[in-house]
Amino acid sequence: MTGAQRRLILPASIATFIAVLVLLAPFLPLADVRAMDVPGRFSPPSAEHWLGQDEFGRDVMSRLIWGGRASLFIAIGSALAAAVIGTTLGLLGGFFRGLVEIITVRASEVILCLPPLLLALLVVTILGAGTWPLILALTLLYTPNYARVVYAATLQVRSLDYVTAQTAMGTHPMQILVRTVLPNILPPLLVQMSLVVASAMVIESGLSFLGLGVVPPTPSWGLMIRAARGAMEQQWLLLLWPSLALAGTILTFNLLCDRLQIALDPRGITGSGALWLRRGHDGPPKSAAPAPKIAKSDALLQVEDMSISLAKGSKDIELVRNVSFTVMPGETRAIVGESGSGKTLSALALTGLLPDVLSVSGGRALLRTRADETVDLTRLDEAALRALRGGELSMVFQDASAALNPVLRLGEQLGEVIKAHNDMDDGAVAERVVALLRQVGMPDPEQRVRAYPHELSGGQRQRAMIAVAVANDPRLLIADEPTTALDPTIQAQILKLFQTLKEATADMGLIFVTHDLAVVAEIADQVTVMYAGQVVEEGPVAEVFARPRHPYTAALIASVPEGGAERLVAIPGTVPVPAEMPKGCRFAPRCAHAIDACRRDIPDIERPAPGRRTRCIRWKEVT
Amino acid sequence: MQTEPEQTLIEGRGLARNFPQRRGLLGQARDVWALRDVNLTIARGETVGVVGESGCGKSTLGRIMLGLDEPTTGTVDFDGRDLFALSGPERRKLARRMQMVFQDPFGSLDPRRSVGAQIADGLRTHDIVPANEIPTEVARLAQQVGLSHDAINRRPHEFSGGQRQRIAIARALATRPDFIVADEPVSALDVSIQAQVVNLLMDLRRDLNLAMLFISHDLHVVRHLCNRIVVMYLGRIVEEGPADKVFGSPAHPYTRALLESTPSMKPTGRDLGDRVLPGELPSPMNPPSGCAFRTRCPLAEPACAQAVPPLDPQGPGWRAACIKAGPVKPAIPEPA
Repeated sequence: MTGAQRRLILPASIATFIAVLVLLAPFLPLADVRAMDVPGRFSPPSAEHWLGQDEFGRDVMSRLIWGGRASLFIAIGSALAAAVIGTTLGLLGGFFRGLVEIITVRASEVILCLPPLLLALLVVTILGAGTWPLILALTLLYTPNYARVVYAATLQVRSLDYVTAQTAMGTHPMQILVRTVLPNILPPLLVQMSLVVASAMVIESGLSFLGLGVVPPTPSWGLMIRAARGAMEQQWLLLLWPSLALAGTILTFNLLCDRLQIALDPRGITGSGALWLRRGHDGPPKSAAPAPKIAKSDALLQVEDMSISLAKGSKDIELVRNVSFTVMPGETRAIVGESGSGKTLSALALTGLLPDVLSVSGGRALLRTRADETVDLTRLDEAALRALRGGELSMVFQDASAALNPVLRLGEQLGEVIKAHNDMDDGAVAERVVALLRQVGMPDPEQRVRAYPHELSGGQRQRAMIAVAVANDPRLLIADEPTTALDPTIQAQILKLFQTLKEATADMGLIFVTHDLAVVAEIADQVTVMYAGQVVEEGPVAEVFARPRHPYTAALIASVPEGGAERLVAIPGTVPVPAEMPKGCRFAPRCAHAIDACRRDIPDIERPAPGRRTRCIRWKEVT
Repeated sequence: MQTEPEQTLIEGRGLARNFPQRRGLLGQARDVWALRDVNLTIARGETVGVVGESGCGKSTLGRIMLGLDEPTTGTVDFDGRDLFALSGPERRKLARRMQMVFQDPFGSLDPRRSVGAQIADGLRTHDIVPANEIPTEVARLAQQVGLSHDAINRRPHEFSGGQRQRIAIARALATRPDFIVADEPVSALDVSIQAQVVNLLMDLRRDLNLAMLFISHDLHVVRHLCNRIVVMYLGRIVEEGPADKVFGSPAHPYTRALLESTPSMKPTGRDLGDRVLPGELPSPMNPPSGCAFRTRCPLAEPACAQAVPPLDPQGPGWRAACIKAGPVKPAIPEPA
């Protein structure tokens, strides 16, 4: 049983208890709901009448249970009826669109124009008071709500690939609706359901209160509240019981629908909790930059044995383990690997932008700043990192459309970045913005300053984001898959832009994270190959590609469909998941050259040649 | 390959697709042609690669060839029958013979149903095998695409991208199709996994004599997999021909530019700057007159703006739409 299912137990058992209670009312040894006992009116709870007696001396508990029967029947009955009708209308309208949409969804929306209580009153006035007219009125009232919610959800789902796949397969549209679309729109439907049941109970109470719902002496919670109001001063408990029952049932129902929705989600996604409950960036006491002493080197960035862990319950899961590399001034280091290799996490850790659940659990990353001081990026608090970001190091992301603020003009975003680190007047900032845009090759920079991100093409957005990143002449630029989402000709343009930027600022170090070996060959000087959270090979790009010293690198190169091989060399299997890392060499299960010794211990880094590193015990024989 | 030579399976004639767009609330609807004057035939057992940048109409072409989207003008004949003249039930029956594999292995599978149930859908819809043999057939399909047997009862989210793509391929194969449209089936996958899926597609093509329309922006994959290449630019075919001709000595300047700007593991020694094609795809709402590529073309001259160049033959089965077309050896080295 999963956690989500366990969390269903509580609301489900309360709901079952309530349901059983009201269903079994005729068989329970309850006092007659109409038996009056005028001398005992307003008596407090006693052994005979557990919840006391009302203004006619009738047993309150019995009336509460029988009343719940009426109230719940009306609320749930109308909620279900409205759900069935509304869902059908919404599904049909959302899936077929056009004329069908007009006669289903749009037609039902006419009801929304009428004030809800008035509509209910109208129906009840025409058909007379009673249970069935009330159900009809509430069903009418809530149908358009369902129709609209389902319609919106259907619109989203119908264009998804798996629905198209069903169409392509020749499945009948009605079957697609029932089998594919309906289960996938359940979450909003359940939320709507919980809202409607609650609201129907309130309206039922209200109408009964007005004397238009359930007819006395048949009890209902609304009627009970109405009667108790008049006698509030004699016996306030009479008001408490039905109110408690009403509120409790509504709460239970809401909880049940919420948890049901989570339990039905196949991915088992559960909420991660409120923001303030999560661990803050500056949560753990990090001593303010202890100015570590290191052997003086010329390196711009020196990452040593850095590990990144996911704190999950009591045990930590290491996602990145003992990663080391250096970046010299003016050097481009490519970090290459497949998804799950930890390449992006390593880059994010350097800027302190790791997701909240992850943290650097070992090692250090020493950055030499402009003032020739050495700081350890992994130990800085949020404020110190903020001071470094932009000026000393900055980052270019893969998805420029998500990384730029959609509601700010380009000039404002760039100006903001410049002003964060410089004290300039507005005129100077505006000049600098245009100069920056020109530097990154944006066409018509004077006009583009006033453009919003959505008005730019994909390539231009990526240029704009690079402009944001280099606005304050960072010494270290980290680019995370900056060309992956781009078309070939645009990708070439952006790669060229990176080359130009490097030539213009000779001292800037560049870390280029990518999965594309060909891009590495085009842009980088040094390459670090990562696999399953570890560095497996490192060296100058030309040397590594010409003669890989690790079987993984060799296999990766062979799997690129370039060259005339009849068949591609595929690496069998998949990258291991972090919780189930192999004990020895992490590549051993997929490696064609693995021997027993490979599976025993994690191989040490070996140095086949100056400037080369490999994490393979058999590099001499197999490469 | 053991195909009967030149047996046309599917033929699109004069295909065009317009997505009229309205600017503002009361603005006039303007024509936006995603596809114009496209003729494409695919023979049994043939793999045709469609390459081009986003917005060139290659996905629209794929959907139309499969009958998922109706062209504004033009017809698609599948095995001699006009797809868009068929009635609903007949069309759904024909759907058995044509299937699609999508780009996003996370979006193309229903997250709420087990893998086996989704593979079985096609079997049930078209009564491919008797009901009691469905589990065996599902197991066989899973095995054919290299999935382990216990995969059948699990849900899609438990699989990695490459495995999901295998599931999607198994689902497409369930109805024993003759024709598959694969819309960027490997571009969301890692390199090593991509090779697995490309190899799988090659095996299936060989074993099942499938006709395939392979849409991709990755020229290396297309070159590896396809017999014939179609290069598209702004809704039109600019070059079409045998893979070794189109990639070996491209006749259209756009094909050359595309090849040169594709990063290569084997650097040519030429500076990236010389190979970069300037500018971006023009807006399809306001396409340039004449040849759509002339705004970025290094060879453009005033005559290019006069008329849309026709697709002229360059060799057997090889055509290019350029008034200055001619085979040119590109700078990238031939595979050894």
